[in-house]
Amino acid sequence: MISIQNLQFHYPNSEFRLTVPEFAVSPGEKIAVVGPSGSGKTTLLNLLAGILTPKQGKVRVGEVAVSDLGDAGRRDFRISNIGFVFQDFELLDYLSILDNILHPYRITGALKLTSEVRQRAISLTEQMGIAEHLKKHPGKLSQGEKQRAAICRALLPNPDLILADEATGNLDPANKTRILDLLFKSVVDHDATLVAVTHDHELLPRFDRVVDFSDFQQGSGSEDTEETISPPPTPDPQPPTPNPQASP
Amino acid sequence: MKLTRLLILLVFLAIATQTFAAKRLSIYTVNYPLAYFAERIGGDQVTVTFPAPEDVDPAYWMPDQKTITAYQQADLILLNGANYAKWVDKVSLPRSKMVDTSSKFKDRYVNISEATTHTHGASGAHAHESLAFTTWLDFSLARLQAESIYIALARKRPMAEMAFKRNFQALADDLERLDTRIRAIVARDPGRALLGSHPVYDYLKHGYGMNLRSVHWEPDQAPSMSQWNDLKQILEEHRAEVMLWEGEPLADSASRLKEKGLGSKVFSPCGNRPEDGDFLSVMQQNATNLEQAFR
Amino acid sequence: MNSLYLAWQYIRFNKFKTIILVASITLIAVLPLSLEILLAESERQLLNRAESTPLLIGAKGSALDLAMNSLYFDDEVPELLTMAAADRVYDTDLALPIPLYVRFQTRGHPIVGTTFDYFDFRKLKIAKGQPLTMLGDCVLGAKVAAELELGPGDSLVSSPENLFDLAGVYPLKMKVVGVLTPNHSADDLAVFVDIKTAWIIQGLGHGHQDVTRTRDSSVILKRSEGNVAANAKLFHYTEITDENLDGFHFHGDTSIYPVSAVIAVPYDDKSGTLLRGRYLEGDESQQIILPAEVIDGLLQNIFRIRNVLDAVIALVGLATLLAIVLVFTLSLRLRQREIQTIFKLGCRKATISRMMMAEIVLILMFCAVLSSAALGVIDSNAEELVRRLFIG
Repeated sequence: MISIQNLQFHYPNSEFRLTVPEFAVSPGEKIAVVGPSGSGKTTLLNLLAGILTPKQGKVRVGEVAVSDLGDAGRRDFRISNIGFVFQDFELLDYLSILDNILHPYRITGALKLTSEVRQRAISLTEQMGIAEHLKKHPGKLSQGEKQRAAICRALLPNPDLILADEATGNLDPANKTRILDLLFKSVVDHDATLVAVTHDHELLPRFDRVVDFSDFQQGSGSEDTEETISPPPTPDPQPPTPNPQASP
Repeated sequence: MKLTRLLILLVFLAIATQTFAAKRLSIYTVNYPLAYFAERIGGDQVTVTFPAPEDVDPAYWMPDQKTITAYQQADLILLNGANYAKWVDKVSLPRSKMVDTSSKFKDRYVNISEATTHTHGASGAHAHESLAFTTWLDFSLARLQAESIYIALARKRPMAEMAFKRNFQALADDLERLDTRIRAIVARDPGRALLGSHPVYDYLKHGYGMNLRSVHWEPDQAPSMSQWNDLKQILEEHRAEVMLWEGEPLADSASRLKEKGLGSKVFSPCGNRPEDGDFLSVMQQNATNLEQAFR
Repeated sequence: MNSLYLAWQYIRFNKFKTIILVASITLIAVLPLSLEILLAESERQLLNRAESTPLLIGAKGSALDLAMNSLYFDDEVPELLTMAAADRVYDTDLALPIPLYVRFQTRGHPIVGTTFDYFDFRKLKIAKGQPLTMLGDCVLGAKVAAELELGPGDSLVSSPENLFDLAGVYPLKMKVVGVLTPNHSADDLAVFVDIKTAWIIQGLGHGHQDVTRTRDSSVILKRSEGNVAANAKLFHYTEITDENLDGFHFHGDTSIYPVSAVIAVPYDDKSGTLLRGRYLEGDESQQIILPAEVIDGLLQNIFRIRNVLDAVIALVGLATLLAIVLVFTLSLRLRQREIQTIFKLGCRKATISRMMMAEIVLILMFCAVLSSAALGVIDSNAEELVRRLFIG
């Protein structure tokens, strides 16, 4: 599903370096990516999603060399093939839950919002157990309910790859397990591949494989933990520990 | 087709002209002399209305609201001036239609010598009670009043000015003849003492230099004892032999006057419409009576 | 469409911010435009009234006060003339004089003393009742009648000039005999009386029992040859009725009675020119003005002030616009996270711009609708507003 070869990446005006000699994920695998803060985990997800492009090397998702696509191509690929689940849910306060779930279909011409899509969205919410909240705004929902809505949004375009960045980070222990269960089930049901960044070591055994990211980082900088696409993140003062080998 | 249209247009114009020509000027006056003058001068171009009832003195008459509205809607309102028709000061009339027929001889207005005025406080201005107003009894002034009417009519209907002028000339000649006749009568004995039964002969007196004093008697009322006493006192200074009356006096009054050596002659001011005749015939009769008084 | 939908949802959710933005922008748009409408209407009304008044004669002094008092029945009474000024015009045979005496008030409305000709001159028609006929009658402008709920048969009392009026301007009870049709001018707001009635209000004319014939010696100050002087005990009627009308009179020569102005209606253009020429002498105590010129001059001054107002509004508008730009910029900054999220989801930059623009478009659309509605209301009520706000 995912293939990275000789990838090198650094942010402009930053000493942070990410070097990934080889990284591969099989279709349907559920991978956990762990590592210290600033080690490049989120950077990796951004590279996989085509949000960032490597200075060197290739990133392939499925049959597509994402790193070779232009901006528009990467965006269209991303929205149609990759589902994102964020730590802070990233739901829009001013949209209802249903509108949040349908949001990807309103922000790109690559996806067409049809009645069938709406029906699928409602069906997803029923599966997630949040169907009665469709008309509410996110402010009225619990953390767990919000994350389930975010998962629905990520799953609605039927993506092949789901990237979860600390998806359970803001949840209480009971909800963490529940959400992970739902995420795993959805991934299985949709025949998708999951790459999840997590700090929760109790959850690691549930994944098919754990990748320790401290092996990949080089240089003295680090990624910014904040999601800054433009301008680039500020460098981390801790020196990284490079490990070019990543064992599947 | 064109000819038909032309004919229709001509007929229409004829009707319009007829209609226009047929519409008379509506003239309202405050007394009969002015009405007579307006009728004489205006002829068939005017409809003259003098609405005061026949049995009232127009100088003291007060028209009702309906009549005042009729005055407001007239084409011309002929006023006598000299404070005649005191009601004029108490109503709203359009100045654009008002003609003060005596405005050209305001300097010849006469104050009533026997009148009593009033003021407020010791030095206040007087109220206007003291002007004599029978201006038409001086026929030279009557001619000027007639001339004002002619000018007003000519301005209102310039197309008929020639007719108005002709009519005015005829009236003016009649008034001038009267004027000449009265002057000739008085000239026979300029100092002849006369009495007037009512203070309405001031313009006659001043206009023709008559030696005349007035009392305040009514022809249809018997004078009171005090009035007879006042007369007696007057006669001691003013040895008149004839009293001029506004109308035919009571037989008793006349005979008592006769006993005192005073004859009675009628000189009607003709402020209202006479029962018989018109203004001219009444004045001519007045002149005849005056002639007899000067014999 | 999606951009508009998302923008609409955003605006709906942030009602408070949206309302403030819409209100601010609408105000900036409406203020100068409505001012323009009102000023244009003021100009039209003022000029209309002035142009329909050929010549105005008054005492030498402020031409503007003369025009404003005579045309719009302004409170400021100019230097007074006498009725002789009207007689002077009449005697020239060049114009019809219409005297005005606008000095007194009744229940907040000006009492306009004039002559019967005024109504024909201004083409005023009677809607109810009848025109002025007797002393003491009054005819109401349409708005006065509506405001005071009066009609023919009712009465109205003139107001004293000041609280301790000891000079004889005593309240006169006037009889309402008619109501005029709406004229859409200052005439709608006035109470019309014959000028002689105005003089009675002032105390120059009055009614009382006949003192030359009274037997009540307590009202007599002094009797002399041909005159009776009455004292202050003599009761003056405060109302003119059919019964006491005969007792009303004026003292002295009415040609010296006061008027505030004389409208001169020339019989033709040449007469107007000739008449104006007669007031050019150096020692002339009266002035003759063309009201249209005076009001036009006033309006020029107003336009000068309007330029200042426009500049002030422009500055305020600029400041408001800058504030609005700041609000949008801050809003963008606050929404940075949202923008990053949707960018991460796969939204193009152009789409993000379109979404932000859609919000601005929607807000501007609301502003346009509100502004149009507000301006529509102002425009359709401009005549009334101008009368109330500027002319009074």
